[in-house]
Amino acid sequence: MINVQNFFYLSLFLLVLVNLNGDDFSFPGEKPKVLDIHALVGGDIQINPEKRIKQGTILIRDGIIERVGKDFEIPPAYRIWKMEGKTIYPGLIDAYLLSGSSESGLLELDHDQHVYATTDLSFHGVPSTRSDPGEKGPGFEVAGVHPQYKLVTTFQPDEKKWEDLRENGFTMVHIAPSDGIFRGTGPSVLLLNKNPNDCIVKKEVAQILAFDPVGKEETPAVYPSSLMGVFSVIRQSFLEVEYAQQLLSYEAKNSTSLPFTSHSGILALASVMKKQNSMPIWIESGSCLMTNRAIKLSKEFNLSPVLIATGDEWRRPDLACSESLSYISPLIFPALANLKEEDDWEQISLDQLRAWDHAPSNPALLAKKTKSLSLTTTGTNFNEFHKNLLKAIERGLSKENALAALTTNPAKLLGAEKYAGTLESGKLANLFIVNGGNYFSKDVSIHSTWIKGRPFIHPVQKSQKNEKDEANASRIKSDQLVARFPSEDRKPINMPSSILFTNATIWTCSMDGKMKNGELFIENGKIRALGKTIKDLDRSKIKVIDLQGKHITPGIIDCHSHAMILGRVNESTLPSTAMVRIEDVINSESVNIERQLAGGVTTCNLLHGSANPIGGQNAVIKLRLGSAPDKLLIKNAPKGIKFALGENVKQANWGDKYTSRFPQSRMGVKMFFQNRFGAALAYEKKLKRGKKEGFPVKTNLELGAILEIIKGQRLIHCHSYRQDEILVFLRTMEGFGVRVGSLQHVLEGYKVADEISRHGAGASTFSDWWAYKFEVYDAIPYAGAIMHERGCVVSFNSDSPDHARRLNLEAAKAIKYGGLSEMEALMFITLNPAKQLGIDSWVGSLKVSKDADLAIWSGPPLDYRTKCEQTWVDGILLHETEASTERDKRRKNERLSLLKKAKQSLEKVKEHEPTKEAQIKFFRHSLETASDLHPHSCRSGQHNNQCVHQ
Amino acid sequence: MKSIVTHLLFFSIPLIIIGETATLYRAEKIQATPSQFFKPGEILIENGIIKAIGNSVKCPDGCKFVEWKNSEIYPGLISPGSSLGLAEINALRPTRDLSEVGTHTPGIEAWVAVNPDSELIPVARANGITHSLTVPMGGTISGTSGLIKLHGWGTEDITIKKNVALHLWWPGHGLSIPSPSHGNKSKSIKDQDKERKKRISEIDEFFDQAIAYQTQKKSGDKTFLQIPSWEAMIPVIERKTPLMIHANESRQIKAAVQWAEKRNFKFTLSGARDAWKHADWLAEKKIPVIFRHIFSAPLHQSSPHDDYYKAPGILAKAGVPLSIGLPLGGWATANQRNLPYHAAHGVPYGLSREKALASITIEPAKACGIDHRLGTLEKGKEATFIRTSGDILDIRISVLGMVMQGNEVNLESRHTRLNSRYLNRPKP
Repeated sequence: MINVQNFFYLSLFLLVLVNLNGDDFSFPGEKPKVLDIHALVGGDIQINPEKRIKQGTILIRDGIIERVGKDFEIPPAYRIWKMEGKTIYPGLIDAYLLSGSSESGLLELDHDQHVYATTDLSFHGVPSTRSDPGEKGPGFEVAGVHPQYKLVTTFQPDEKKWEDLRENGFTMVHIAPSDGIFRGTGPSVLLLNKNPNDCIVKKEVAQILAFDPVGKEETPAVYPSSLMGVFSVIRQSFLEVEYAQQLLSYEAKNSTSLPFTSHSGILALASVMKKQNSMPIWIESGSCLMTNRAIKLSKEFNLSPVLIATGDEWRRPDLACSESLSYISPLIFPALANLKEEDDWEQISLDQLRAWDHAPSNPALLAKKTKSLSLTTTGTNFNEFHKNLLKAIERGLSKENALAALTTNPAKLLGAEKYAGTLESGKLANLFIVNGGNYFSKDVSIHSTWIKGRPFIHPVQKSQKNEKDEANASRIKSDQLVARFPSEDRKPINMPSSILFTNATIWTCSMDGKMKNGELFIENGKIRALGKTIKDLDRSKIKVIDLQGKHITPGIIDCHSHAMILGRVNESTLPSTAMVRIEDVINSESVNIERQLAGGVTTCNLLHGSANPIGGQNAVIKLRLGSAPDKLLIKNAPKGIKFALGENVKQANWGDKYTSRFPQSRMGVKMFFQNRFGAALAYEKKLKRGKKEGFPVKTNLELGAILEIIKGQRLIHCHSYRQDEILVFLRTMEGFGVRVGSLQHVLEGYKVADEISRHGAGASTFSDWWAYKFEVYDAIPYAGAIMHERGCVVSFNSDSPDHARRLNLEAAKAIKYGGLSEMEALMFITLNPAKQLGIDSWVGSLKVSKDADLAIWSGPPLDYRTKCEQTWVDGILLHETEASTERDKRRKNERLSLLKKAKQSLEKVKEHEPTKEAQIKFFRHSLETASDLHPHSCRSGQHNNQCVHQ
Repeated sequence: MKSIVTHLLFFSIPLIIIGETATLYRAEKIQATPSQFFKPGEILIENGIIKAIGNSVKCPDGCKFVEWKNSEIYPGLISPGSSLGLAEINALRPTRDLSEVGTHTPGIEAWVAVNPDSELIPVARANGITHSLTVPMGGTISGTSGLIKLHGWGTEDITIKKNVALHLWWPGHGLSIPSPSHGNKSKSIKDQDKERKKRISEIDEFFDQAIAYQTQKKSGDKTFLQIPSWEAMIPVIERKTPLMIHANESRQIKAAVQWAEKRNFKFTLSGARDAWKHADWLAEKKIPVIFRHIFSAPLHQSSPHDDYYKAPGILAKAGVPLSIGLPLGGWATANQRNLPYHAAHGVPYGLSREKALASITIEPAKACGIDHRLGTLEKGKEATFIRTSGDILDIRISVLGMVMQGNEVNLESRHTRLNSRYLNRPKP
């Protein structure tokens, strides 16, 4: 097969040559054509990032570099350009200039609180009011998925912008589309004016994929409006391509051709998924952890993407950087706000200061830890871009890397390395000339930029150089990174291979009850022995900790949490979002991990919200502080899914606009479940038939997840309140042979406790929360005890990052209301939630061979005078009172040093006004941080309108 | 003061008519004040008033004797601010009466809208809360709060003090963070500063106008017109109705204190999230504080997880008169019963048990100007107390009984009723 790309270039070049020859002779009245045979003589020539020739010569003919070198005779025909004292650089290339509806366009994911749902229901076959929420015309039926879009079809040179780019040494750019999830492609173009045909180098550089929950911008929102929804959309889109391909080959074999099987969107994505000669895919992830997710996703679908960096990679270099992938980074550095009062500074967090201080070091980090780094001016102006480039160099980015990031690296990414990126004979004559010897100097002035041999001479700029700049330059040189990396504070405090606790009161939460003066031996992350006195231990060889009567309990398990979820906890648009997965959006960087460890919590059930009857797939994690999101998952935990009943799913408290999504009543809720379970069974039937008869069946992620429930492979955790809906739900599920894993909240569960017990569902409730909406008017704090007495497995959960810090005291309420024993109450937050989540074989009680997940308390665990002093996960100490205090001190000191530095740098530098982007960036929280600042919980009483979404 | 006396008479008269005799309660322990307890303890009450208290008290002739075995006695708990009676089911607008429209509405009185039969009231009472300061919300000056007792017949009966304080919500001083959406303009730091100062000067101006109104009124000027809102400000200006200022950030707190000093107002600081950072300063100025943030998320991600757990201890140690309350607003209303645990949580983090007890009994009584009647169990004070099975701060114990103004009060609630109904559900 002919290499299409090479063929394309060949034709481009022929076209160029033909055009030049054909246009040589101008019409009368036109300016005569300039000659295009040039000799640039006597300047220093930076051939490529590494190689520089002193006082050399470049010959240019017909837009192409003819010869580069030193000490050769210049043939007489050439127009001589004297270049003494000047330096010639390869033309700069911007690898990712965005073009589209928003101005700067770089994706900045945020985590605002909630989005109200839509009435558009068409995805995955649910009856709808609008048939195709996708783009107009044939294509994928999802908002933001239009991989078939070709920016080149409407491409026009933007003369003003291009003049700016040229004046700053740029000769070529890749214009990328900035709207949507699968955004389509853009061309790479030369920065020549006038005729678009002259400019285009390559029509399509790459398919652009961005993790942008575009549906949230619509009113009412459409799918996908959450980050996790985006991943489902991406997966489903790829699966549809696979299906279309299977269908095509099936039809070819069976000659049962249908008139229309593949729309242009499928074809465009198919070219991304092809193994050879494929269309490259570039991913804009929008946050540090999402870059990690992009890497994971690429492995899932066997892609080798180029990644658009966010500048936040310093948060988790180990996760966000990949040595086998190329990165493109913007150079938007947060600009310090000029705060006048100490109290203003008080509001600036360590995280903001770190982001400010790390930003200039981030490019060097990327250059070191990735396959290659390219840069883009997107989001900055040129003045700032150059200034930031110098800052990055002062922070360790080598000049060679910096130049490569603007020439050879992007040339490669754009597939143009044969034609651009260096000053070598045979390449396009794309170059720029600086007065003086160095592009990387503060007072650089660019004499001219040459594109395809055509000179653009820039007006002589007044040198900005003055004494102040000199002073600044010397100050910046001494600018060292002060901020530390977040990981430095998240290291294990202690990870002994084995340890023996003696003289402890051990609350086993098992048949062994409570042991006074007991011993507990852990080894390799597991409990090896416990008892009054453990025999057969060589005590001289192991580490022994005398707990002096302190109390040990199993690590606390929170059966209902939203505390470590990124980019919205509800995909609230569709009534069934069984395809979305919390595990795609786990926030391993959340400060809630260490805060909850400080309360003795070791395991969390991260749940989707309750905005729809069938929510997303949950993730059961351990609070392994410092680990990657995927490493937090409990591997053996059964898969699960969030369901919901009642007021939330029927949008009862969403306002008068939301009255058309099915269901709007509890009657409809039941029918909805029957419908989706029926659909899943039909899907299974089709899968089986397809397998038997050999025809392809489209993978449906929504129905696939529901089918797993029916097969007993996925546990339902169902948000529920009223007795009637609880009972009806249990019966409906029984009709499909499904046992419900846990009923969540289940505030009227005490009214139907016998039925819940007989069904075998767990009951995970609040200790005493009530009356926040009508369906919880009958919630009582005795509910836990009543359900327990009637044989249900009962737990108390937090549903709030705050309550999760003190679940031991929540458990104490089961003693107050209902008179349970202390051990029974403690089991509400240990063994019982473990049972509900199906993880009680490994956690939940202190038993030989279970995981060494422990909390060590200063006194009885349910006493208000008690503090949690140590928390161990898998035998690793992750919280300890003194170590935490030390960590707090380190952070405080770091913040003070950064504040000092910030104030000093504001005093010294009277810089020009920073760009708006840079100013905003100082205040903008990263996705990982924002999700902690806007936790999904009503129990703190701070988010009135959103509280109905539990 | 006059109104209190009338109230006392009002309550005493029927008791006298019935011919109530003295009653002596004996318990294992009586926590008379935060620092003083009697073990065992006896308390003699007559006509709703404590006649004597001690380890052993003489029971006069005809005195009724009540033995509370295995029990402790505490003064009734006082919530220093809630929407009890004003909010029922917060998600349902028809059941919300907790805030009003307008930025300066001094004429608003909270007690007038308290629903005495709110289901939330007996639930709070069941855990020992005998009184709540019911606070109006909304705007800069939201109106006056009223102190209600959590048992009684009708709004007038349960309201034991109408105009406890005028509530001033100090303007926010936070930097507004620009919206992440592109092109959304944020205000410059300079403009924000200007706006802040403007809002404070608006408060000043409002008080100046109130004084001008008062001057005109006194002068007997013929153009004088009676305006209810300004009338409501007169007791404030005359220092008859005290101020409660709600402020959380350091700067708000500092600005509020400076403003009040300049105008020579005494006030109670409510909310007080960052007050612990200025504990000594506030102690020196003897400004009472109601801390409502023990369970708030730490200010910054880098802040210690227990910053606000430690705050009450720091304030109390510095000598600040400290009350502890729940956050204000509709969502916290149903949780008032957890008041003792908000105080208790400070204990392992440096708050003495004594100060923790004070923060939910005598200190809020002082803040409400009712400490001559409530807050401790002392001779001459109201016989309003609770019977518990142990330390009132311990979640595991139960509240077993309540005496309010000498009468035993039923501690049943929606919750106990539903509990006994379903506890006794026959097995299906």
